[in-house]
Amino acid sequence: MSDAVASGAAVSEGLSPFRLGLARVRGNRGAVIAFWVVVFYVFVAAFAPVLVRILNIDPYALDREAINDFGLPAGPMGGISWDHPFGVEPGTGRDILGRLMYGARISLLVGAIGTFLTTVVGVTLGIVAGLRRGFVDALISRLGDVTLAFPSLLLIIALANPMTQRLESWGVPAGNTARITYIMTVLTLFGWVYMARLVRGQVLSLREREFVEAARSFGAGTGHLVFRQLLPNLWPQIIVFVSLSLPGYVALEATLSFLGVGLLAPAASWGIMLGDSVRYYRAAPTYLFIPGVTLMVLVLAFNLLGDGLRDAFDPRSDRQQL
Amino acid sequence: MLFFILRRSIFAVVLLLIVSAFTFVIFNALPADPAALTCGKNCRPEVIEANRERLGYDRPLIEQYGSYMKGIFTGRTYGEEGSSIHCPAPSLGYSYDRHECVTTLIASTLPVTASIALGAFVLWMGIGVGLGTLAALKRGKWQDRVATAFSVIGVSLPTFFLGLIFIMVFVIWTGILPFPRYVGLTENPFEWFMALLLPWFVLAIISAATYVRMTRNGILEVMNEEFVRLGIAKGLPRRRLIVTYVLRAALVPIVTIAGLDFAFLLGGALVTESIFNLPGLGKLTLAAVVNSDLPILVATTMVAAVFIVVANTVVDILYGYLDPRVRAK
Amino acid sequence: MKMRSKVLAVVALVGLVAGACGGSGDGAQSGEESGGLSATFDGVKDGGTLYVLTNAEGASTLDPQRVYTGAELGAWGSTFTRTLTSYKPVAGKDGTSLVADMATDLGTASDDLKTWSFTLRDGITWQDGSEVTCADVAYGVSRTFGSEVTAFDGPQYAVSYLDIPEGDYDNLTAYPGPWLATEDEQALFDEAVSCDGKTITFKLKVPVADFNFTVSLLAFAPVPEAQDTADQYGLMPFSNGPFKVETYEEGKELVLVRNESWNADSDEVRSPKVDKIVWQFGLDETVIDERMLADSGDDKNAIVYGGILPENLQTVFGDDTLKERRTDGFDGFVTYTMLNVKTVSCLEVRQAIWLAIDREALRTAAGGPFTGEFATSFVAPLLTTDYAPAKLLDGLNADGKSNVEAATAKMEEAKEKCPEVYAKATEDGLRFDHPDTDTWKKYMAIWIDTLGAAGIKIIDNPIESSKYYATINGDQGDLMRAGWAADWANASTVLPELFGKGGGFNYHNTEEDPAFADFQAKVDEAKLETDRTAQSKLWKELNQYVIDQVWSIPGSATKAQNIVGSNVRGAYQWLPFGWYNLGDLGLAG
Repeated sequence: MSDAVASGAAVSEGLSPFRLGLARVRGNRGAVIAFWVVVFYVFVAAFAPVLVRILNIDPYALDREAINDFGLPAGPMGGISWDHPFGVEPGTGRDILGRLMYGARISLLVGAIGTFLTTVVGVTLGIVAGLRRGFVDALISRLGDVTLAFPSLLLIIALANPMTQRLESWGVPAGNTARITYIMTVLTLFGWVYMARLVRGQVLSLREREFVEAARSFGAGTGHLVFRQLLPNLWPQIIVFVSLSLPGYVALEATLSFLGVGLLAPAASWGIMLGDSVRYYRAAPTYLFIPGVTLMVLVLAFNLLGDGLRDAFDPRSDRQQL
Repeated sequence: MLFFILRRSIFAVVLLLIVSAFTFVIFNALPADPAALTCGKNCRPEVIEANRERLGYDRPLIEQYGSYMKGIFTGRTYGEEGSSIHCPAPSLGYSYDRHECVTTLIASTLPVTASIALGAFVLWMGIGVGLGTLAALKRGKWQDRVATAFSVIGVSLPTFFLGLIFIMVFVIWTGILPFPRYVGLTENPFEWFMALLLPWFVLAIISAATYVRMTRNGILEVMNEEFVRLGIAKGLPRRRLIVTYVLRAALVPIVTIAGLDFAFLLGGALVTESIFNLPGLGKLTLAAVVNSDLPILVATTMVAAVFIVVANTVVDILYGYLDPRVRAK
Repeated sequence: MKMRSKVLAVVALVGLVAGACGGSGDGAQSGEESGGLSATFDGVKDGGTLYVLTNAEGASTLDPQRVYTGAELGAWGSTFTRTLTSYKPVAGKDGTSLVADMATDLGTASDDLKTWSFTLRDGITWQDGSEVTCADVAYGVSRTFGSEVTAFDGPQYAVSYLDIPEGDYDNLTAYPGPWLATEDEQALFDEAVSCDGKTITFKLKVPVADFNFTVSLLAFAPVPEAQDTADQYGLMPFSNGPFKVETYEEGKELVLVRNESWNADSDEVRSPKVDKIVWQFGLDETVIDERMLADSGDDKNAIVYGGILPENLQTVFGDDTLKERRTDGFDGFVTYTMLNVKTVSCLEVRQAIWLAIDREALRTAAGGPFTGEFATSFVAPLLTTDYAPAKLLDGLNADGKSNVEAATAKMEEAKEKCPEVYAKATEDGLRFDHPDTDTWKKYMAIWIDTLGAAGIKIIDNPIESSKYYATINGDQGDLMRAGWAADWANASTVLPELFGKGGGFNYHNTEEDPAFADFQAKVDEAKLETDRTAQSKLWKELNQYVIDQVWSIPGSATKAQNIVGSNVRGAYQWLPFGWYNLGDLGLAG
């Protein structure tokens, strides 16, 4: 990419829409900053075990010295000290920074896998519906209607405990594995529709375009059609969708854990920390603020990045720019 | 048009039947034995069996579903004479845990949720459309930047975090507002208002963000259309043009989406109700989750689904009314 | 019965009566505080509305035959449900002495203690003005048997004591309760509980020396048959006390107003002061504490059901201006960790667990010394007659911290003696059942961490709080948490229930242990012992026996702290129920 384009407005003939979009994103300062913030979170999550060792903190070790006889963090500001830069968890004295770093692993894992599964299912069903049309299309579309008629958050919460037990009885390892499996599954079950509708619409319009017609007239198979002709043209939409659903899933995992239907101890989930912190707002307000801001910044960064990508890839917003 | 309405309504009814059947099956196929949940600790198998029979859990699922649907229209009586329980129509089941007909419970919680949803709706439409219009008119200026920043931050704030921050700031630190405690509108309108102020704002700020963006983009799009360009070229007053033509045209898709969001909220503002301790449908559901109170869970899911489907249908019909192309499809 | 849901009838308590002797001076320290001015009746005036703030979504029930929560038994008993006998409405030790309520005296027993009779006073009326009859009492008692309605929720003493033949019904007698009984079956009950004018006679199948304590339980309260709405009765019970239920809505409020038909002359126990008592349900616990600390408006007339959050103890007890309206003392409960003797059948492993666990860390996570003192007995210290600190396991640190070395040594022993249990504990892991709460998430972190140091693996098994006891009733883990308090001032309502054959709260599977036979034999002996001194000696020995066998690991003798609004008077701790005497509370100013 030596021929980097400085400004999004510069439309050069030789660039594919994909590269063009990328170039535009790079011109968006907010999106670039957001991108590096996301990279930072991913880095911290990926290397959390190494980083805690370098920083000499331990997310699981109890520290009786850091809490007083009431079980509250010793010292002001939630026990912030050299040993515990972000303070300690009331009751146990576990290090908050370390727990936040491990929590990032869970948040990003749930967000990434959830988004990946949703996208795969959504794109597949969307392409199938768009290509096949007729009965298959009608079936998938009606299935989408039914799915959207359910109050998803309510159902996800209501089914969390019993369905987790059911998964465990099917041999999914008990505990957080089963819980994460459940969350991923329901996110996919309720989330695929939007992606599928988007892709279906695109496929319907693409299949009428000359290049697809041409490929077909040369006797191209479905595989060729999908992977060579359709998917490359769907990338922009998929990227935008992914970047906008990631923050939603990250926040949803925190919400579920906050409501007590998410992950189990001793896992360090941001939602669990926030749910626990509610009771300590008087004794240790930092315990609420630090995880809350940590979560917010990540979601914000994803959203800014997503916005940037949308502005860059979505032709409609492109028109408005001009 | 009439045919279109009819078709949409039939589709809605079919959809509701499917959703209700699905809900019923999911909840009744769970590992938790609904009959076992009717009696607490030290429960003996005989009691469970008696209650199973009394509540009809011993019969095939399809038959149970039949009686459930019938109960909605005719009411339902559980058990034999002596200690029977009657739930009048529309019966949505009987909660053994709460010793109440589910309909009664929903009827007492729905007004709370409706209060939350209505106020939040008014606020978020006001903020969203207002800021969005401002941003569109002052495109590229600082007002636009502020509105855009607001919309991105608003979308990124998890509801529970914003709610907790609001309580800390407005109730605990500054004491501007009293501790939220729900009071019925008819009992004391002022206290009702004060109790709901924070929840309204929390929901409004989070939802308004999306509407700011939609309104802004919608208006910009409409202003690009031929008729508006023509109007500007002809020298029509800008303000009148915007209010009478642009806003109206831009708002149609927004209002329809707002209708759906409103319906979603009516099904229970789970997080908000839980943080602000509002005894609405969401809290009823959360309590039922903790107690594995299946009849309530089935009912709240169905009620929420009804709101969504009805709103969907109304929006569709509205769209069909406004745009003949949809009808033809 | 589980924590916070058991009557607590306890005698002789020196510490609490002594009042505010601790806790002053440097910062907040846990001592006994009795509530200062708020516990007195200084400046109390008649009238006003008293508020009860609680996090609970509702009462567990208002049905007298189903209620079994300590505070609620006291609250309903002092307001709308009178019983034959009840407890004296005063602070301290005297509060556990029995007084005649609806009955003219404390009852008459036959020589063999198998027949008890009570005579009703004149002028006791229901809220509609009709007279409370002997038949109403008998009908009320019979409701306990009807398990399809009362669902074994309340105490089962009527079932286990009354002389009704054994049978096949759910309650294992030949009488199915008033709703389903045939005439013949009803005759069986009427034989055991009979009326002669105003005199009710109970025939028992076993001698019971303190049956007049038993009838003070609301399970023995009257219910008028004509007003009985079976399973709905708990929503709107019929009152024969100074207050009656005006409205009750779960998740919202319970409003008690004065019962105009209540005849003060017929009641020597209750002296109502306020006009109205309003329970506000479903309040956030943090909000409750904030409101109580702020003490403004109606909250000056408020009390709390549920206590202060541990997170706020530092604030409340660090501020001596709150001295006149706060309380601190034992609540009569003992918490403990049950071991499943069937699956953890190796004494050395059980000992190792006890040595390895850091009780100090657990207590700190709960909120520190204010939450309780390390228990040395399953009998609470408040039950002075039967309480004696047991000699604990050798090697156990007095400060509650882990003794990893001793624990590891015990595990080495176990490796030789019982390799199977050793393998289970070190490789497969032991399943720990506990209620799923935020605090328990932290306890588990401590359990996993400290037992791990001794090579014992713990598998976390959280169970939804409300279903916790129902769940372990069917499926016991290897370790389980529990809490218990006595039903009345006798360890007979503690040790046999927790560890004995057929004990209502015995989840230890103790029968599987070879050491069980000796234990049960002694329990049977103690139950029949009529000399109270000799009996209490047996209870102390039995407690030591359980400690030696490590069937269960005692945790804390728990304490409770509470705070009332500045206008509230008469907020003394009523020992039998571990809360205030709701009907006796008044307001000043």
